[in-house]
Amino acid sequence: MPIQYYIYLSLALFSIGIVGVLVRRNAIIVFMCIELMLNAVNLLLVAFSKMHYNMAHLTNAETTVGTEGQLFVFFIMVVAAAEVSVGLAIIVMMFRNIHSVDVNFLNRLKN
Amino acid sequence: MNKLVYLVPLFPLIGFLINGLGRKSLSKSLIGIIGSTTILASFVVSVFLFMDVKAHGASVVTAFNFINIDTFKVAFAFQVDQLSSLFLLIITGIGFLIHVYSTAYMHEEKAEHFGRYFAYLNLFVFSMLLLVLGANYVIMFIGWEGVGLCSYLLIGFWFKNNNYNYAAKKAFVMNRIGDLGFLLAVFWLIAKLGTVNYADVFAAANTLSKFDVTAITLLLFVGAMGKSAQIPLYTWLPDAMAGPTPVSALIHAATMVTAGIYMIARSNVLFSMSEVTMNLVAIIGLATALLSATIAIKQNDIKKVLAYSTVSQLGYMFLGLGVGAYTGAVFHVMTHAFFKALLFLGAGSVIHAMHHEQDIRNMGGLKKKLPITHATFLLACIAIAGIPPFSGFFSKDEILAAAYAHNPIYWGLGVAGAAMTAFYMFRLYATTFLGNFRGTHDQEHHLHESPKAMTIPLIILSILSVVGGLIGIPEILGGHHELHHYLSPILISEKAHHIEHSTEYMLMAISVAIAALAVIFAIVRFSKKPELKDATGIAKAMENKWYVDELYDAAIVRPLEAVAVFFKNIIEKSGIDAFVNGVGKFVNYSSRQLRLVQSGQVGNYILIMVLSIVIFILLWFYDAGIIRLVDKFF
Amino acid sequence: MNAIIFSALLGVVMMFSGILTTNKQAIKNIALVCLTLLLVANLANHYEWYSIKIDTKQMFSFGKYGYFFNTIAITATLLYVFVSGDDIVKVGSYGAEYFALIFFVLCGVTILSSYNNLLMLFLGIEIMTIPLYILTGSDKKNLHSNEAALKYFLMGAFSTGIMLMGIALLYGSSGSFGIESIVNNTSITLMKVPILEVIGLMFVFVSMLFKVSAAPFHFWTPDVYDGAPSVFTSFMATIVKSAGFIALITLFANKSEELGKLWNILLVIVIIATLLVGNITAVFQQSVKRMLAYSSIAQAGFMLFALYSRNEIARDGILLYTTAYSLATIGTFAILIKMEDHSLDGYNGLAKSQPLLAATQTIFLFSLAGIPLTAGFFAKYFMLASVIRTGGNAAIYLVIIGVLFAAVSLYYYFKVIQAMYFKEGNAATTKITPSFKFALLLLAFLIILFGVMPDALLGLFYF
Repeated sequence: MPIQYYIYLSLALFSIGIVGVLVRRNAIIVFMCIELMLNAVNLLLVAFSKMHYNMAHLTNAETTVGTEGQLFVFFIMVVAAAEVSVGLAIIVMMFRNIHSVDVNFLNRLKN
Repeated sequence: MNKLVYLVPLFPLIGFLINGLGRKSLSKSLIGIIGSTTILASFVVSVFLFMDVKAHGASVVTAFNFINIDTFKVAFAFQVDQLSSLFLLIITGIGFLIHVYSTAYMHEEKAEHFGRYFAYLNLFVFSMLLLVLGANYVIMFIGWEGVGLCSYLLIGFWFKNNNYNYAAKKAFVMNRIGDLGFLLAVFWLIAKLGTVNYADVFAAANTLSKFDVTAITLLLFVGAMGKSAQIPLYTWLPDAMAGPTPVSALIHAATMVTAGIYMIARSNVLFSMSEVTMNLVAIIGLATALLSATIAIKQNDIKKVLAYSTVSQLGYMFLGLGVGAYTGAVFHVMTHAFFKALLFLGAGSVIHAMHHEQDIRNMGGLKKKLPITHATFLLACIAIAGIPPFSGFFSKDEILAAAYAHNPIYWGLGVAGAAMTAFYMFRLYATTFLGNFRGTHDQEHHLHESPKAMTIPLIILSILSVVGGLIGIPEILGGHHELHHYLSPILISEKAHHIEHSTEYMLMAISVAIAALAVIFAIVRFSKKPELKDATGIAKAMENKWYVDELYDAAIVRPLEAVAVFFKNIIEKSGIDAFVNGVGKFVNYSSRQLRLVQSGQVGNYILIMVLSIVIFILLWFYDAGIIRLVDKFF
Repeated sequence: MNAIIFSALLGVVMMFSGILTTNKQAIKNIALVCLTLLLVANLANHYEWYSIKIDTKQMFSFGKYGYFFNTIAITATLLYVFVSGDDIVKVGSYGAEYFALIFFVLCGVTILSSYNNLLMLFLGIEIMTIPLYILTGSDKKNLHSNEAALKYFLMGAFSTGIMLMGIALLYGSSGSFGIESIVNNTSITLMKVPILEVIGLMFVFVSMLFKVSAAPFHFWTPDVYDGAPSVFTSFMATIVKSAGFIALITLFANKSEELGKLWNILLVIVIIATLLVGNITAVFQQSVKRMLAYSSIAQAGFMLFALYSRNEIARDGILLYTTAYSLATIGTFAILIKMEDHSLDGYNGLAKSQPLLAATQTIFLFSLAGIPLTAGFFAKYFMLASVIRTGGNAAIYLVIIGVLFAAVSLYYYFKVIQAMYFKEGNAATTKITPSFKFALLLLAFLIILFGVMPDALLGLFYF
């Protein structure tokens, strides 16, 4: 499959994520949309990793080019997990105080 | 050994800090001791430095890099050489004596003001030392401003009297006019040579164009005019007598006012390259010397006479510089410091005894009551009148001889000025010390000789005034002119005198004879019946200082005020004020609007971010038009 | 190297010290000792003494510049804990954990000072920001703190997403994460643009601008700085922001020619927008804390000058700028924390009730405004000089704009001074200890020292 398909798919996912962040008001869903953006990136990285490997493989059968792209994906997953734990904690803390997870509900800090 | 140089300005600085911070808690005697011993310590170090320079020659000691911008570097460095070490001795030596004198003179002040006084005085000495020690024009300028500040603070020391405050302000403003010239000169040097270090500037001076050299030296001279009270910026010095008398002695006679001479002597390499400036320096110096001498003849305030005499003597020094007799000018700075400090301190002693009476018409006959003051004052008068073998004779003679070599007319006018000097000094002496006492009964009752702390400095200074000239005996009188040899590495030696020895003897004899005649005439004329009536005609004009202050007032101050009023009422109110307020209102208004963008909603924030990213990307890809647009403007 | 390892280890140590003791004073002292250790470890690196030598496979490029920045950041943190340590432990009941988080942030900072690979850039940024989300929300019952944490977290995570997309696109076009291979790609010229590379670079650039709060990506800054507990705002606004700049400059350090003219135009737009938003909005603020938040945006605008010029002066200057800015901001916030009322009126008459606080505050504000004889002056001077050095008319216009906005900044900084000295009122403060006063004096002394002799700091760099 040409690399373009992967790029289009992942950009589509990424855009869906952005739009979701923009239009949704529930903090958890906003957060899930951000996760969607990260996963779009993961997909893209893996696709590129494979592409670079294939290109290098044509000239050198023993090449390891492209592995770092997949390694990067693991790091993103780990960091995203850390972010999730902190983010959910923050959302829970907010819910305890105001019994709502609406991102626009808390609006004291402005101007 | 050279590292000791740090100590010289450090001691007065410590004194300033202790006295300034502790002025409310320390006792008066402790303040006096701290103030004086710090200067004494500096003096001792200065003596060591002087010996060292004499033995091993000059050096530059760098403390740290003060300004370091790209290739332009200004080091906080001290120049230890023949010229600066000589000035160090003068400043710290006379400074110490005057500090000691002040402990007695200022004793009536409250402890707090006493502390303030000594703090200022120490700060002054610190600044003056910085001025003299700096190895580049920037450090010199720091000291230059520092002494100006201290002078301002000390003239207005009794700040409860508004006239004194005006005098302080006048001194400060006039000095600032001169400082502007100095500053411009320094900038000019930086622009042309990229350095302000003396050594580098003088080494590269040849690369400057004729115009640059003339402009720089003229601007430097403007600075010197302000600080050293030359026409047209001299009128602040007589008014500066509002300060305590020891201050007048130290700042407005012995040290600060000679800063201009020091600066020109230091820059002699530059000045020698510009004929125009040199002539102007000589002419201004001579004109100042004569003008202020005529004014001094008719003054009745004991300190005013001395003030105009100082202006006049400074004029002589500039004459010396202008005709290329740098050594002579520095020599005269030194001898003048001795006898003028002595005169001021003597005057202070008289004022002290007379309970702050300064009008000589109310004095007279003080000879018997104040024997030590009288004797020392007389010696100082002889010295300043130029009677051999007192110190003033040698230095003044050297300047006059150089002036003759340059242009006999300078010499003629110089001798006339010298005669006037002798005349007004002995008028002052005779009116004050001879004849009968003319003050109130009460004052007569309280007349007393001053305490030891005041008389001992007088005696030391009088000894110096008498013998101080001996280090510069010219060769035709069988001397070696030690000072000349000592300073020769720094100062370009004057153009060879094309005077026959016989001519020189004759010139000397003429000037001494005229001065002696003036002395005798003054004593005969004023000892019995001093002039008490108000003057008329020319004499009145002289008494009123040729109306120079009034002239300045009418020619500069009033028109400026008129313009200022016009600007204030018309242009400022309707134009600039409206504009500035408009800008302020606009900023406030846009501030209020702009903060509304900060809506507090995360969604909006992210939307703006996303839109910005889109715009950025569009900008990048539809670039050609934008680049062309931007190119047009930048 | 040492700094990265030690900051992570010492963070763990701090965490466990919370189990051993609940004495707040003891925890603060342990933190001070640990920070000193960290500083020593970093200095040891500077003198080429390594605890462990690991082959980092070009993930890092350790150099003097990075070490020196670490020294500055750690020293600033040390001073920060020294001044405000008592207030850190007062925020909640988890004193030791706050310090542990600060150490983890420092770990991120030290990674950012010497990364050589986009993976490390990403990790550094994340290690630095995730603890900050927690610190922002550490005042758990306070709705402002909640709101700030949520906003910070959502926007921070969003910008992480943008950055990752940028990195992925860059990887796609160049096949490597090393920063030389990416931004040195000479194929980027004005006419022939590889689209992946440009958009990727743009995304990374934008997310970094977000971290240093440059307009128009600054929106989180005022709200988060305002809502977070003041002690942590102080830390975020200084050390963290400085690290962001160092990372940004490392990324774009010597890429000027290749990036083309348009890149500079974008940067100019960002700089002007940042200066405008920061300075103008600060004018109307009534709360000093919020005013400082906006002023920190304005200061970021000045620091961006270094990114525009990308020359030697800029590299030196940004170090001086971050130092001057951090010292002054730490001091200002330390005083702010002690105030009972954080509004401008709360400062009325402080000069009477606490003359020392008012005096040092004045020095800090002078430095922020860039008045001569304070470190802030030379900091701004270096920035402007570096721009002038690039030459061209655009540089001149940029300098003029910079000076104009510096003048505007005087207005709102002086409003505080005016309140302290010329307005009647009795500014109430919480208890001021002598050691706090001493710490303020130390900060003020350093500011004056670097203001009189900027070489004292930069000279250290070349020792």
